[in-house]
Amino acid sequence: MHKVSDIASKCGQFSQAPVQSLMPLPAPYDRIADLPPRKVLNQKVLDKIDTSLDGFSALGLARPQTRKEEQKFVERFLSGLEKLLSKENNWTFIEQLKLSLEHCARCQTCVEACPIYTASGHDEVYRPTFRSEVFRRLVNEYAKPGGKALAWLKGEHVELNAATLGRLLESAYRCTLCRRCAQACPMGVDNALLTREVRKLFSMEMGIAPKEIHEKGSMLQLRTGSSTGMNARAVRDNVSFLDGEIRDQTGLRIETPWDKEGADVLLIHNAGEILAWPENPMAFAIILEAAGISWTMSSELAGYDSVNYGLWYDDAQFARVAVRQAEAARKLKVKKIVLGECGHGHKASMVTADRILTGDLNIPRESALVLLRDIVISGRLKLDPSRNDFPVTLHDPCNMVRMMGIVEPQREILRAICPQFREMTPHGVNNYCCGGGSGFAIMSGYNFEDWRFSVAGRTKLKQILDAFADCPSPDVKKYVCAPCSNCKGQFRDLFQYYGVWEKSGILYGGLAELIVNAMADINQPFIKWEFH
Amino acid sequence: MLTVMLISVALVVFLAGNLVRVVKFLRMPSPLRWELYPIPKGPQERQRYGGSYFEDSDWWTKPRASSHKSEAVFVLKEVFLLRGVWENFRGLWLWSWLLHWGLYLYLLITLFAIGEALLPADAGALVLHAALIYGYRLACPLGLAGALGMLAMRSWHPRVRAFTTRTGIFDLLLLGSIFATGNLLLTTGPDGLHSMIRGLARFPTRLGNHSVTWHLHVCLVAFFLAYFPFTHMTHAYMKYFMWHQVRWDDSASVHDPYAAKELAVNLQRKTSWAAAHIAAGGTAAWSEIVADADGNGAGKRA
Ligand code: SF4
Ligand code: SF4
Repeated sequence: MHKVSDIASKCGQFSQAPVQSLMPLPAPYDRIADLPPRKVLNQKVLDKIDTSLDGFSALGLARPQTRKEEQKFVERFLSGLEKLLSKENNWTFIEQLKLSLEHCARCQTCVEACPIYTASGHDEVYRPTFRSEVFRRLVNEYAKPGGKALAWLKGEHVELNAATLGRLLESAYRCTLCRRCAQACPMGVDNALLTREVRKLFSMEMGIAPKEIHEKGSMLQLRTGSSTGMNARAVRDNVSFLDGEIRDQTGLRIETPWDKEGADVLLIHNAGEILAWPENPMAFAIILEAAGISWTMSSELAGYDSVNYGLWYDDAQFARVAVRQAEAARKLKVKKIVLGECGHGHKASMVTADRILTGDLNIPRESALVLLRDIVISGRLKLDPSRNDFPVTLHDPCNMVRMMGIVEPQREILRAICPQFREMTPHGVNNYCCGGGSGFAIMSGYNFEDWRFSVAGRTKLKQILDAFADCPSPDVKKYVCAPCSNCKGQFRDLFQYYGVWEKSGILYGGLAELIVNAMADINQPFIKWEFH
Repeated sequence: MLTVMLISVALVVFLAGNLVRVVKFLRMPSPLRWELYPIPKGPQERQRYGGSYFEDSDWWTKPRASSHKSEAVFVLKEVFLLRGVWENFRGLWLWSWLLHWGLYLYLLITLFAIGEALLPADAGALVLHAALIYGYRLACPLGLAGALGMLAMRSWHPRVRAFTTRTGIFDLLLLGSIFATGNLLLTTGPDGLHSMIRGLARFPTRLGNHSVTWHLHVCLVAFFLAYFPFTHMTHAYMKYFMWHQVRWDDSASVHDPYAAKELAVNLQRKTSWAAAHIAAGGTAAWSEIVADADGNGAGKRA
């Protein structure tokens, strides 16, 4: 077993993350030998980037090559640490940060709640308290007066070198920020918050963050309007194409309204849906039109993309995007913003940005699940549940459920339209993360995906298989309803990795699609049962 | 006399240290929301599954139900039954519960004993007197068993061993010694501990003859009091903030008349985050950082 201070060790890989220790899965996924082989990084890459945590690399962090470079790296970290602990630089989260830093009893009550730690076979490096304890000790030793002497006295010295920092940073990207551990902590300590603060320090002071969520994510969104890179014209073109698809598939003539001033609802999708799962925005358009809702989409910068990746790693990026989205709504004078099926977009806009969006930027914001529930329960649509007579289970996106308490609306819908709906265990606010949370679903790093599927998504996969244990045959088509774009991204990749569609006949998709699939007025089944 | 001075100074440090901690916390800037469900607020039906007001359509127009009763029930379960440990780490629960109850009883009886000592001599009812003596007889063995059990867990249990620190061991030894000397005092006379508290509560200038155990116990308690505000054990009361101000704080800015004012103050704060997309080596107000959508480094010109 490793000691916390071993994080500074200059030789070798901290954890081997052996596949043999992984939590077992039910048949036919029980043979470790059947797992796709892990990607082997060549020596040239290994010499260049830091993989010393567990052999994986989410960030491709360049190793400092000289003593001077290492010193500089450490100095920049210390400067960031100072800022993280100051009110001026970190007014956003300093209260929560200090509370979590100062009150951990090291009782380990929280650790078994972590799906990553348990799925890995209790690999110490993924223990929720491990990175928190390293970080706490660094704060105590290097950012407090008399810290060095006290650290020696208490036996809590951690050497601050490039190895420590490289591993600490990578380990901050081995946690999905699902906050299950925080739920279990009797003190109220939040290891996920500490993880996010570590990510933040590296991003906001040192400019180090995964390229998928920074350069190709929030920076791209602020530049073009969407993290997909679609500008206003491209998004309108793509949606207009989808309007045509609706006509072809259903015969319905729908023209998605754009920039309609004074509409009741500004619908903001995760723009990734438009490209990767177009059936979801199509389903929304069909439902809103059929229910007679006054709605619009916005072609303003960020007004057509609900993603806000800053939520996971950077307060400045977070605030910039949140404000742009609210400005788009203000400009259109809409009554409310409705957030489409995107979990982190929900939390970013409705919860975390709440105290940033005051005055005329405080446009009311509501979950699409609530609007959909109201429509379904009101009877405005003619629904035939027998069209959804296949096994359906529900995935609870952490951001919507554990962090926002939106639990029942999606269930009310499923109970009304899916006769074979069954829950996973556990579910609701106690759900397990899909393993793609906090940006993982869009991150591939160097060989990060191997870890994302074999470790991070493992618990969820087991839960899904257990939910369908009564009908394991691939001939029985089954549906995991995941009302979140990032979760769907993770399911797509995870199912592909394990061959779940072929071996078990399990498809994933959104909630709106199930509603349209049950609409009696539409002749063709809306769900296509093709894996993509 | 030295013993009396020691405990007096310790009490002052205890009170001042804890006060500073709370005041420091209260002076923190108003942070962003970071709640976590389930939250014991709102209608009972929703609390059952951890639902929130976000489940209502047009939630901002609806009255907010808050339930102090549910919060109180939750807190009482957490404080007196250690619900979280029971649910998530059963193996630790018994020892932790014994230790906590030892401490609660010791503190409670001591407060009563001080009260009794400060009352006129004939006011102390016999029943109360006896209750206090039996209270100590319960508190010390419970606390000692808890401390020893926790020490054993910390030393061998694989779940906690690697994360046991010297401070963790020290804290348990300290608490264990307080309860052990307390137990010894209980054996020296029928009301050993109780008469000690009564004696001390009157701030005597002369103590008379007392055993080494007596002095040792008082010194250990004094040390504990002075040490407490600087440890994680302040979770005893800081937990209030961790739960009420963070986990359960779901108050929406639309219902908060001060939200805009607080934000205005925060946006004027200067930041010097050095990454190129933020202040880029300079300093800028948060309002400028947010306005700099291209991430060109709002502080560059500074
Ligand atoms: S985070 Fe909470 S549960 Fe986990 S070790 Fe710290 S105090 Fe215990
Ligand atoms: S937030 Fe989730 S993934 Fe991260 S340590 Fe806690 S339980 Fe594990």
